[in-house]
Amino acid sequence: MVYVASWDDFLEKSLLLFRSQPDQTRYSTKYRHCDGKLVLKVTDDKECIKFKTDQAQDARKMEKLNNIFFTLMANGPQADISEVGVKEQIEAQPAKKGRGRKQ
Amino acid sequence: MEGFGNSALFFHKQSALLNSHTQYTEMVRLQPDPFLNELTNMFERTTEKGSVWVTLKHSSDKSKVKINKMKTAGEKIEYKCLVRATDGKKTISTMVGQKDHSRFQSSYATILKTRMTALKKRERKDRRKTADSDKKQEPKKPSSAAKPSN
Repeated sequence: MVYVASWDDFLEKSLLLFRSQPDQTRYSTKYRHCDGKLVLKVTDDKECIKFKTDQAQDARKMEKLNNIFFTLMANGPQADISEVGVKEQIEAQPAKKGRGRKQ
Repeated sequence: MEGFGNSALFFHKQSALLNSHTQYTEMVRLQPDPFLNELTNMFERTTEKGSVWVTLKHSSDKSKVKINKMKTAGEKIEYKCLVRATDGKKTISTMVGQKDHSRFQSSYATILKTRMTALKKRERKDRRKTADSDKKQEPKKPSSAAKPSN
């Protein structure tokens, strides 16, 4: 289990992972009120990245990530997430995967 | 202990391992609104102990066989966002489509904001990058490495 220290790193890696394996990737959140801990996990069953925190500020960042994933997963991996406030560098990588599904 | 969600991604019934005994909890598929209600209850039940897991996955809710058939027939496969939640004992799930995803995502965010209150507010300035406009420094607490606010 790979814990990523930086939020931005985690964000970027999880989006890359999802875009490369949209059918296998899942995003998991575990919250323990009694411990005040939050753990996020993104995996495609081959690679796995995690982020853990006990900070309230990270909960706000997680909300953004939730929105991003909801948008991507409900609309498809090619969905435009710019309105969710994602960094430009991620947008600059258009999904090159074949669009076999949509044909 | 098998991690939650590792197995049976494409099946509707999931086993939830409790202690060392295998107990099978049926996955309950709900509509988005009842799901949100039940999720709120889960958070309420786990304030003293326990965890709430929520998992999001891009899914079409169809078996691989059906997907392949649809692909060869040239049919468009409709994808939705599968959301699952469990407290280790009970598991619920729902499918959120394109139309209701905005509404669902804001209701979901509200639930989290209301419920995830045990996380620590920022006391130490070890994250200089985050310049949230609503940062609240509590000066009454003499933190160990407290830098003066900028």
